Amino acid sequence: MTPERMAELVAAWVRLYTRNLAAPIAERRIAEIVADLHDHIAHERAHGTDDRRTALRVAARMVRGLPADASWRRAMIARSSTQKDSMKRRTAASRSVVRVALVTTSILLVPFVGMQISDGVDWSIFDFVFAGLLLGGTGLLLERAAREPRMLAYRAAAVAIGAAAIVLGESDDAPGLVLFGLLVIVGTVAMAFRTALRSR
Amino acid sequence: MPRRKPGTLLPLETEILGVALSLRRSGHAAFHGFGLAQTMREQKGSRALTGHGTLYKALGRLEDFGLLASRWEDPEAAEGRPRRRLYELTGQGARAAEEALAEAGGQSTRRHPRVASGTA
Repeated sequence: MTPERMAELVAAWVRLYTRNLAAPIAERRIAEIVADLHDHIAHERAHGTDDRRTALRVAARMVRGLPADASWRRAMIARSSTQKDSMKRRTAASRSVVRVALVTTSILLVPFVGMQISDGVDWSIFDFVFAGLLLGGTGLLLERAAREPRMLAYRAAAVAIGAAAIVLGESDDAPGLVLFGLLVIVGTVAMAFRTALRSR
Repeated sequence: MPRRKPGTLLPLETEILGVALSLRRSGHAAFHGFGLAQTMREQKGSRALTGHGTLYKALGRLEDFGLLASRWEDPEAAEGRPRRRLYELTGQGARAAEEALAEAGGQSTRRHPRVASGTA
């Protein structure tokens, strides 16, 4: 076998173990080994090594590197999936924040508009800030509970907030707060059921 | 292959850094894969060149650690042959190489025989 034919076989092996990897990583590895093979063959020829021996030396280098090729591929796949997971988590977190902000703002618009058209509604800045923190905090907690269904602490905290809202609403004769507490508890329980059904 | 402890270099990586440092001291700061394998073989007095996978995996790790930097050779310099990937020691890499060589020189040659006998 000629050294060039052996170099083609080595290059085919490199293309095989770099398949489905990110294009820049695969292309770099292939180009680097192709250059190495070219340099190796040129070096052997310059030193008068016969073609058969050169081909064997090229093949031996490939064989000696096989375990490293396999572990390199595993490392590249692991690195790629870690990056993808991290990107997905960041995107999901930003979407959660946007969703919670939109819902909180929409709910707070109800008393704000009510104040403009009726004298029966009279919220101070403090009321808006308090309600905003309560709604936003609970919304983020529910989003977190939905993203990480195995974390019972988030669900327990959401139920505790709902219960506290019902108790406070009852004592202050605030049906809106009671309704809010009920919705939080029902939402948390519904999410727990959905998670349980999906995991089956 | 030896299992890596955090913050430590494998013997092959130490050897590559040592060769890169000796090349830099002799005025050849940039080196390519086959040239490195060839120099390592000469320094070890071995018959075989390091395997492709072993060599390029170690080079990639050293680059990830910030000890080496790499770039593609200029197409004009390639003169029709495939372009080489050129590696160079970074400042951090040069310091790590000096430390590793000093350490290897102070230890028994059984642990890092190739580095201790070749470049120390």
